[in-house]
Amino acid sequence: MQTRGPSIWERMLSIDRRILYLLLFANIVLFLLLPIRMRAAVSPPVQKFYDEIEKLQPGDLVMISSNWSASTLAENQPQLEAVIRHLMRKKAKFTLISVEAQSRDISYRLASRLTPEGGYEYGRDWAHFGFVTNLIVSIKGMVNNLPDTIKKDVRGTPVSELPLLKGITSLRQYKMIIDVTPSATVPFWISYAPKETKILYCPTSVMAAEAYTFLDSGQIKGMITGAKGAQEYEQLLGIVGLGTRFVNAISFSHVLIILFIFLGNLALFMNRRQMRQEG
Amino acid sequence: MWQIQNPNTPTGQLILWMIVLGAFIMIMGLVPLLHALPPRGRRAIIVIITFITGLFFAIEFFLPINKEQKNFLTDAIQPAQQAVQVITALALALGTYGLVRLHLRNVVQQRAQWGYSLVLLISFVMMATFSITNTLSEQGLVEKTPLLEQGFKLLFDYTLVQLDAAMFSLIAFYIFSAAYRAFRIRSVEAGILMFTAIVVMIGVVPLGATISPYLPGVANWILTSLNAPVQRAIEFGVGIGGLAMAIRLWLSLERGVT
Repeated sequence: MQTRGPSIWERMLSIDRRILYLLLFANIVLFLLLPIRMRAAVSPPVQKFYDEIEKLQPGDLVMISSNWSASTLAENQPQLEAVIRHLMRKKAKFTLISVEAQSRDISYRLASRLTPEGGYEYGRDWAHFGFVTNLIVSIKGMVNNLPDTIKKDVRGTPVSELPLLKGITSLRQYKMIIDVTPSATVPFWISYAPKETKILYCPTSVMAAEAYTFLDSGQIKGMITGAKGAQEYEQLLGIVGLGTRFVNAISFSHVLIILFIFLGNLALFMNRRQMRQEG
Repeated sequence: MWQIQNPNTPTGQLILWMIVLGAFIMIMGLVPLLHALPPRGRRAIIVIITFITGLFFAIEFFLPINKEQKNFLTDAIQPAQQAVQVITALALALGTYGLVRLHLRNVVQQRAQWGYSLVLLISFVMMATFSITNTLSEQGLVEKTPLLEQGFKLLFDYTLVQLDAAMFSLIAFYIFSAAYRAFRIRSVEAGILMFTAIVVMIGVVPLGATISPYLPGVANWILTSLNAPVQRAIEFGVGIGGLAMAIRLWLSLERGVT
């Protein structure tokens, strides 16, 4: 007796995962290379973020908490680059701090590369406080006595001797805190940072859903969600950065995933129907 | 707080070094002492230290503050922060020692897959050498030579960062495969979930605005009006659970703490 071979639906249901990987890889490479530019509808959290930085005056001091490592580079690097560029445009001064060991080097090197664009000089316009092991204790310490808590910057200079921090003794004197992170560090800033200091948030896309409660309550004043948020921000700034370059690959990967979820369900439905018909 | 007067003078430096040496000898003496103690005695010490340190942070947080936004414990936060840094550094040194010892033994005794241990040891030594020297050069303590600059760039920017990013990006491929195989509409609820997911996935990217100007608004409404209240409820639950867990850890009631 001749047995029937697997139907197209059965073959679709047992598709080799390497084919799926290859399709996604080709999709990402193709849309990274294609020079398509789609205008985004700027989401309200990104617009609020932009508006808050626009309110800064030249010389205002901003703390950037950069806590990401290379694993989330594709999302956090476009955010940090766009934020630093905007701060430089507003002539705001900034300091960086990292609670993630690898981020200390990544953010320092990134800021060292970007700051000459705005004519920024290390020590005068920006500085990096290096790696701290415990964020809660560090925030509390910086609120109470910043120079005593941080002591030296990444270049070994006592922070009290930095022209940038002349007369700065507490985190209370900062206008804003920007948390660029893939981890749940923003609740620590909300809990322990001075209430009068505004907090802005740059999470990875997967972390953003949890932050909408803080946006609602006003504890976070604005949010850039992952690389697609960075693209919206770059659009507001009128620049083409990493977010703009990445967003097509993200958009069409979403389409591919949706298409294959649909195909998977169609194959399941048709296969069941075929089996019922065959008894 | 107690501070050394004029730490940059020869006498101040001598006092500083004596304190460092004294603390080192004390800690080195404490470790064998703790090892020699019976488990019950060791547990008592750990429980007491955990309780006192936890109590310090709790009292400092809850006590009322004066006009200078301080209470009588606030000034002790700096030494506490430094103590945390020292403990972390000690833990890191201990972890490094354990790691190197294990892999060195693998290589010397040529155990199974000792080649991986050799790669780890070589990578570890190279990365540590270039990283420490690079940090010292940033602080102007050693000269920044082209070899150091290029070596660090090769190891950090072109190797570690790229490998780390590549490892994480693999998740996208697993998500794609899992979504295709597992996301099945077997009920009305699953259908609603899928429809919502599609609207958000397309609505939050620029393609959504290209398809329809209403899609981003709908996606944002789902995130703020449906997602946020549910997240808030979950966070309340997690918060209460976290508080209960923190109290159990503070009072050393959690099994495995000691």
